[in-house]
Amino acid sequence: MITRINQLPTLRVDPANKVVFDYKGKDYVGVKGDTVATALYHNDVRIFGRSLKYHRPRGLYSLDGECSNTCMEIDGIPNVRTENTLVKQGMKVKEQNVKGSAENDMMGFIDKLDWMMPAGFYYRTMHKPASLWPVAMKQIRKAAGLGVLSPDFEMPGKFDQIFPSADVVVIGGGPAGMNAALAAADKGLRVIIMESRPWLGGFFDYRTFDYRDAQYKNSKPLYSRARELASKVESHANIRVFKHTSVVGTYTNNLVTGFQIGTENDKFNERYIEVRAKSVVVAAGCIERPLLFDNNERPGVMQVACVHRLAKTYGLLAGEKAVFSVGHDLGLEAAVDLFDLGMKILCVADVREDGQNPYLMIELAKRNIPYLKGWVASKAHGSKLVNKVTMTTIDGTISRDFDCDLVVASAGLTPINGHLTLAHATLRYDSHTNFFVADKMPEKTHAAGRMLGLEDSLSIEISGKLAGLKAALDCKLMPQSYGNTETDALKSEIDSFTAQSKELPGPARGSKFVTAPVKGRKTFICFDEDTTIKNIKQAIDMGFDVPELIKRFTSAGTGPGQGGIPGHNLPLYVAKYLAESGAPPKPTNVRPPLVPTLIATYAGSKHIMMKRTPMDEMQRADGGVFRKIGVWERARYFSDDFSCKKEIENVRNNVGMLDGSTLGKFRIHGPDALKVLQRVYVSDMSKVKTGRVKYSAMCNDDGCVIDDGVVIKLGENDYYFTTSTARAGATIEWLRYHTRFDGWDFYVINLTDSMGVINLSGPNARKVLQKITSEDVSNSAFPFSGYKEFIIKDTIPVKAMRLGFVGELSYEFHVPSSYMVSLWNMLKDAGKEFNIQNFGVEAQNVLRMEKCHIILGQESEQRTNLLDLGLGFLWDRTKKDAKTIGAVALRQAENDPTRFRLVGFEMENNGRAARDGALIVDDKVRGYVCTARDSFSLNKAVGMALVESHLAKVGTRLEIFEDECGGERIYGTVVPMPFYDPDGKRMKS
Amino acid sequence: MSLTITCPICGKRDGYEFRFGGEDKGPRPDEDGLTPQRWCEYVHLNECVAGVQKEWWVHKDGCGSWFTIHRDSVMNVEVATPEAHK
Repeated sequence: MITRINQLPTLRVDPANKVVFDYKGKDYVGVKGDTVATALYHNDVRIFGRSLKYHRPRGLYSLDGECSNTCMEIDGIPNVRTENTLVKQGMKVKEQNVKGSAENDMMGFIDKLDWMMPAGFYYRTMHKPASLWPVAMKQIRKAAGLGVLSPDFEMPGKFDQIFPSADVVVIGGGPAGMNAALAAADKGLRVIIMESRPWLGGFFDYRTFDYRDAQYKNSKPLYSRARELASKVESHANIRVFKHTSVVGTYTNNLVTGFQIGTENDKFNERYIEVRAKSVVVAAGCIERPLLFDNNERPGVMQVACVHRLAKTYGLLAGEKAVFSVGHDLGLEAAVDLFDLGMKILCVADVREDGQNPYLMIELAKRNIPYLKGWVASKAHGSKLVNKVTMTTIDGTISRDFDCDLVVASAGLTPINGHLTLAHATLRYDSHTNFFVADKMPEKTHAAGRMLGLEDSLSIEISGKLAGLKAALDCKLMPQSYGNTETDALKSEIDSFTAQSKELPGPARGSKFVTAPVKGRKTFICFDEDTTIKNIKQAIDMGFDVPELIKRFTSAGTGPGQGGIPGHNLPLYVAKYLAESGAPPKPTNVRPPLVPTLIATYAGSKHIMMKRTPMDEMQRADGGVFRKIGVWERARYFSDDFSCKKEIENVRNNVGMLDGSTLGKFRIHGPDALKVLQRVYVSDMSKVKTGRVKYSAMCNDDGCVIDDGVVIKLGENDYYFTTSTARAGATIEWLRYHTRFDGWDFYVINLTDSMGVINLSGPNARKVLQKITSEDVSNSAFPFSGYKEFIIKDTIPVKAMRLGFVGELSYEFHVPSSYMVSLWNMLKDAGKEFNIQNFGVEAQNVLRMEKCHIILGQESEQRTNLLDLGLGFLWDRTKKDAKTIGAVALRQAENDPTRFRLVGFEMENNGRAARDGALIVDDKVRGYVCTARDSFSLNKAVGMALVESHLAKVGTRLEIFEDECGGERIYGTVVPMPFYDPDGKRMKS
Repeated sequence: MSLTITCPICGKRDGYEFRFGGEDKGPRPDEDGLTPQRWCEYVHLNECVAGVQKEWWVHKDGCGSWFTIHRDSVMNVEVATPEAHK
């Protein structure tokens, strides 16, 4: 275990506060604030896992989770980025993609077989003969890959979602981002700042070494400047701070999405955040551009900031003897800083010819650190961990070996541009900074800080402030939110800061160095996918000349790191390799999520919201078995017998009650109400008579049936109508849509939830009803298809209809929801002497099927039109002026012999009913079974099917194919419809 | 959803609140003399402009009204037009 330096002012861990966790079954001790990766490193774990393809050992590299090197399984969840995950008491950590252990991986030999696997080898080699592919794929999948998830894995933890709005969103909580947030917030705007690390401060946070001429008053070190800004930001009333929050997507209209990792005090493990802002500041900073040399990912090779932060933030010295090979001043600063902390620095090689900060050069000289200008690391040695490094001049002529346990390597910096390009910024290669910089920025989006190429602290701060002010101006220029009075003052403030920033150093010259002088067989450009520069060369030599295509062919940058490692080097390398073409480097596209995000985080919490009818509680008490049906929970059965024999027989022979409250219920009124009905219903609605119920259907423009229900005339241009349960939500929208050009004057009210429905059915229904009302409900006074309004007990207003959906004497009562329970109880009491019973949705389904009454969605699908269902009689062809929806298409479909027909059938030889959805076949599919059941009323199995018209004739034999029937067909015969009470005597009696 | 839409009644709102109602193709044609071809074009054929097009939206989770906006289908943003909303 390495000793922790625990006296540094920059520490973000609490060395006194121990955290015990489990790694591969053994207890390890970290401290509070440690990430899993740093805690393991503290415990001398150097090999964190094995690589995807070659099973090469991998370890700490960037400390920001830009590659899969340090992905592990934590508490059963695979591919967790341990560099970004704080260690917690009792956590269970395991390595992945190893056979044996990460230390001794039995698959490690594959590394030697890389010659067998050139770029795209699996596309090109494994398909001849074709029978090879399944075998090869199985073996490859066994050997390659990252974490493993078992199919029955259930995600633990709580996931939340929030959708805040803000005037300004600032992406990045470094010096530029914090300045931007403060500048905008000081103008009275509401600001949200999102920072991926668990604290604000960015690249100031770990830096104490001050080589400057006291840029800040009293030579304030950068870390204290960062903390000063952070405390201002966190105490500002107008700023909401989201820490440990990675931004994963940016979109047009200033929409920013991200996810936050919860702290121990939060009620969530992770939560998705979607912010709509008026303006966005992107101050995402830079990551390091990896240095390309042989074995450049061997554990012991790390980036500058990784080593630097490991020491200053976590108090851990990454090694004892280090060799630096860098291309940036931050590398020199780190060398000096780490030297002062006790690390032995054998040499600092710098690929830059000039441009070094002279103060840093003096500091290096003061410490007698050998400085090799124009040198670079060309090969790391050591079979598992680095034990030696070969340094070479850039031209490859002179080499020298150094024994060391740490190689600090970095080619330069690269801006995190994903937040800009996702929002449709276009990038251009800038040869001064060697960065891709935004050419055309998205609207109301401003970039600031290091990603512009700035290095100087004050320049970075002022660029942040300017971006914040510009964002403020965006907001204040929006007329709906603010007046325009302040904008002039703001504009002049922006001008004065712009002038000030011109006095300060601008973007720094960036190192253009790409690769050490090596052949590249073991020089990895992408760690996640084990892509070497040799693979890139192979791809180019095969004719792929655009980075975007090379990326796909070699899969460089398609791993969990989302291109963080190869994103910048790939286009630079391709441009260099194709130097004669002279084309500037072209970046590859990035896509959301910019950072690997759990599906669980996107899914959020498991809200299951279902509507319940007013009868819900009573039906449950009565033993109802509930099912989710559309947006509702409904009582489908009232016993364990899912054939519902008793419920069905009770309705056929006695009397039953059904809760039909889910039915869509509407009132339409106003001068043009009838015109609307004429447009949407196929029937002539002017013929709807007072006191009568009219059954009709709605079609879409293709003549396909979308809805059926009844219409009742309450008065002139005042109607009450019902729709199917599923259609209720879309009905008003449908009516309004299809009358949008007409300017008609009408009102539609959705009464679905405010009205309940009781269906009372069975030969004894009238006797029950008569007991609770003095209204004459005899067959002559209230006949089939009749409509009546009456008041029960001087209180309950009832809209009563005589319908026959289930094929018996049947009443439907529509009453205000609040009276539902009362009326239900009255009917129940009245029915006691007949032993009235509940019946559920399934019983109703069988009852109506015996009557061949259709349910849309069961006896129809999207392509089924009115005529297919035999409902052509509903259609009135004379009302052309109404422009009835579907009429034109129906006219065209009328003589079309290729359409399906709805037929009734019974099973042959007293066979069981075919399953719903079974296919009607001969040598082809000729139709399907809609609904079929064993009918107790008829003592045989019957059903309805949609079949090709030549099979529709009565007597035709239907061959039925069911899933998993194993070649065994069952047979039915087309019979006339309906099956039960064909004359309708029972429902009309 | 990054799209925002300005409802003539409720103002600018999140795109989640709305449902798309297709390109603006004008009122339903008269049925007299209507050929199947012409009808099919009216119902099913769209311009699918890569750029600014006029289209119908309904404020389904708001006031429920149907209205037209102009939207840039490439950038998926609503664009302002001098033309008044219907």
